[in-house]
Amino acid sequence: MRTARRRRLARDRFGLAYASPVAAVVAVFFVVPILLVVYMSGTNWKLLGGNQGINFPDNYGDVVDHRMFWPAVSFTLKYTVIATVLLIAVGLGLAMLVQETSRWRGLLRTAFLLPTALGLASSSLLFYSLYSPQVGPFNDFFKSIGIASILGSPNGALWATVFLIVWRYSGFYMLLLLVGLQGISGEIYEAARIDGASPGQIFTRITIPLLRPSLALSIIMCVTGSLLAFDQFFILTKGGPDGSTMTIVQLVYNLAFESKRSLGLAAALSVIALVALVVVNIFQLRVLRGKGDE
Amino acid sequence: MFLRSGRSRAARGATALTVSALMFAGLTACGDDTPDSTPTGGGGGDTPAAAGQGVDDGTELTMWTRAPLERQANALVDAYNSSHKNQVKLEIIPNDDMEGKVGAAATNNELPDLLAGDVVRLPYWVDSGMFSDLTEQIDALPFVDDIARGHIDAGTSTDGAKHTVPFVTDISVMVWNKDLYTEAGLDPEQGPTTMAEFKEHAQAIANLNKPDVSGTYYGGNCGGCLVFTWFPHIWGAGEEVLSADGRESLLTSDAAKEVFAAYYELNQSGAVGAGSKEEAGGTWTAPFAEGKVGVMQYPNTSVYAAIEAGINVGVGPIPGVDGGQSTFLGGDAMGVSKDSEHVEQAWNFLAWMLSDDTQLEVIAKNGEVPARNSLLDNEYTAADPIALTMNATVAHGRTPVAAYFSEAFNAAGSPFTVLLRNATFEGTNTLDEDNAAITEVLSQ
Amino acid sequence: MNSTRRRSGPPLLRGVIRTPYYVLTTGLAVIFLYPILWTMIESFSAQPGSAQTDGYGLGNYTTLVSYQAGLGVYLMNSLVISLVAVLVTLVLSLLGGYAFARFNFPGKNLLFLLTLSILMVPYATLLIPLVIWLKYLHLNNTLVGVGIVLAVFQLPFAVFMMRISFEAIPREVEEAALIDGCGTFGALRRVLIFAVKPGLITVGIFAFLAAWNDFMVPLYLLGGDKQPLPLALVNMRQQVMGVIDYGATEAGVVVLMVPCVVLFLSLQRHYVRGFMSGALKG
Repeated sequence: MRTARRRRLARDRFGLAYASPVAAVVAVFFVVPILLVVYMSGTNWKLLGGNQGINFPDNYGDVVDHRMFWPAVSFTLKYTVIATVLLIAVGLGLAMLVQETSRWRGLLRTAFLLPTALGLASSSLLFYSLYSPQVGPFNDFFKSIGIASILGSPNGALWATVFLIVWRYSGFYMLLLLVGLQGISGEIYEAARIDGASPGQIFTRITIPLLRPSLALSIIMCVTGSLLAFDQFFILTKGGPDGSTMTIVQLVYNLAFESKRSLGLAAALSVIALVALVVVNIFQLRVLRGKGDE
Repeated sequence: MFLRSGRSRAARGATALTVSALMFAGLTACGDDTPDSTPTGGGGGDTPAAAGQGVDDGTELTMWTRAPLERQANALVDAYNSSHKNQVKLEIIPNDDMEGKVGAAATNNELPDLLAGDVVRLPYWVDSGMFSDLTEQIDALPFVDDIARGHIDAGTSTDGAKHTVPFVTDISVMVWNKDLYTEAGLDPEQGPTTMAEFKEHAQAIANLNKPDVSGTYYGGNCGGCLVFTWFPHIWGAGEEVLSADGRESLLTSDAAKEVFAAYYELNQSGAVGAGSKEEAGGTWTAPFAEGKVGVMQYPNTSVYAAIEAGINVGVGPIPGVDGGQSTFLGGDAMGVSKDSEHVEQAWNFLAWMLSDDTQLEVIAKNGEVPARNSLLDNEYTAADPIALTMNATVAHGRTPVAAYFSEAFNAAGSPFTVLLRNATFEGTNTLDEDNAAITEVLSQ
Repeated sequence: MNSTRRRSGPPLLRGVIRTPYYVLTTGLAVIFLYPILWTMIESFSAQPGSAQTDGYGLGNYTTLVSYQAGLGVYLMNSLVISLVAVLVTLVLSLLGGYAFARFNFPGKNLLFLLTLSILMVPYATLLIPLVIWLKYLHLNNTLVGVGIVLAVFQLPFAVFMMRISFEAIPREVEEAALIDGCGTFGALRRVLIFAVKPGLITVGIFAFLAAWNDFMVPLYLLGGDKQPLPLALVNMRQQVMGVIDYGATEAGVVVLMVPCVVLFLSLQRHYVRGFMSGALKG
């Protein structure tokens, strides 16, 4: 009895030892900077002038009153919904197209996965050229439907960016969902078919529910990633035209380095975003996992 | 036209005379200190602060500049390093991240010795104490009155202390496509000299109804572009765009209204190139270089690219609304940062940069605009009438100075962008409110 | 149709799409591959405002090679940063994943959630605090410092991935190793590490790709000759008055892309297996 307990305690100590490098790095390179951000959010900290003293909670009030705050929130939410729906739908579609094993499907998987090997910054630069009115290959097509520059109008810029994101990430979500699909045994489908279920019924009643854990993971990653969207807009649109594609994180960047040059304001917005994300994720986990348990 | 250019030439001659007299005086005063009349070639090396030329003792200096000026910066740094013991290490920073990088470095007291910045961003940097005071050194230069004022003014703080000198000069000019002018029955050798003529010419080109060819083109979603290209129309008319303290926007003047009205009418009649409304600045010079635009304002640095691309380019000054002319004296100025421990050595670079020899043999030879008024007309421009035309506009050049200039005018979605879009595309008659919104940012 | 039983997929697609299947999938594959192939071709062809003025050639690459400190320096910096990031990510996630999957210790759940929450922090936010903090740690302006910071951003995915990889190994495997006289570390080193190899490869590839392509972190934390390639590329894109050198940009994208694509294609099998360890179902 006692030796067993002692052995377990000893084992726990090993666990702690194995986890300690992660703990140390997270503490030093993540927790400390975050605390610094929280502190900055309560000070009048200028980009060029440094810390001018505590002014809590002025930054929070100012940032919410900023004329770009609500447009940025609503655009970020809109983008998140569009990107998540499309990525999950396309990812699932691709997964279903390639889930069986054959040479052709193997090639397809490679093709769909290849864009995920490119960095988001390089992909954005690539699409920046692709969409450019000077060297882009689709200019004649765009012109024929009356678009001079795809990134020039708010809707064009939004959908052009969404297309880039779908291109870059759907392979990744395909892979995540493929794992889920392959975990569903063929016998369940067989049984359903014998019971006379239509393909549509099989999809909604069997595939989707059994895929829930993979779907949940995909959705959470997708929502979190989209709410923090930055690189793609930073390179493709700079938040334009007319600030129509300004996301929250871009506003953080803009407040810190472009317009207000106030690190305090930017930090306050970051803290708001962080808290919002934590809340959103707790909510998502509740909904997605809660139903799965029933 | 003839009269005007004649007069300015005479004026320049006079300046040159004064300057050489001053220089002569300077030389005799410090005659025994330096044998070299120009600092090139390591002159004045071992004597500390010899003749106000700083110290050349083999110090390694660091320098930051933004990416678009890479070519000019490299030319200067290479020339300096090959002739001096001091060695400058140049670092290029992405244009849009310059501010962030400077801010981060300033917090850690890690700014480079030599720091260059866009003249419209500089006043804010100076206000925030990014630079060392160079008043004494600048004023001691024998040719101080010959240096292009705009770049020094941009780095002068409210107490009158000077911090920066011209590094790269960028100016705006009017360009037109001579072939299209001929085709439209216009005089290919004569660009617009008033806003009315500009409108007329643009309309005439548009009336050719050639596919893909438009009368004019502008960065309709790019505040920075239009500050550079439209302000000269207003200055040329003798009006101001900003109050003297830089805290108020004056874009409701008659001249400003005429500029906006001209563009509004051109938009209405379809004489403005497709894509102008969306043009955020990435490609605003491209359509002209592709031969698709009749007449527009242009950066001098891109004129040669258009000529190389095979366009028959006519170049002239940007006219005031009813005649006269002006230009935006843009580009970058350079100073010694607050964190530099080698102020005298860094000054050695700056003094060398401003010397006759460097201005002629490095800058003018490279096709750039010299920062010294007396050198604008030089052997290199003599061989190149276009350069001469462009340089001649410098004397009429202006640089707007305001601490919050870039937030009010250049930043994406700035109030100036809102104003110009309302005034030239939408025709909303909200000029007063839009102008007040700019003032609000400027006066914060 | 003799293989119906073995093909275990949902019948929906098989029923609805059969002949058009190849048309559809070929079309999709073209869409996914087109941008990559297009850049490769464009990077060798003439572009307005670039060094390659007519025909096909290496003009754009020449611009790239001779840019500032030179392509070699930038590539070397990128390589060092990426290797540090990969190494740190692998070591931390291997040990951490093992700890989270197989041990109980105080603060385990808190640490795990804290690690995952790195995902939720706006990236742009941490830059200035990191600049100040790294200087304090004497890691400012070092490739190693940047490598570690980039590894930190990889930790949520990496630790999660390694945790489920370890959880997927039957307990008996570890117990057998322990009975054979290995300590827990011996079991990890001699047995378990082979079982989680696909997971490690997936995590390693992820870390490499992220570190190799990043430019914001190096922009703020590095200076002088220590800049990596993506940063040089972003600089090169902008010329006077915002005119863009598309040719050199495309050449740069290709140089950045090729190692990633080669790495990905050569390790693809393991990479996919890392996901397929089956454990992601949890």
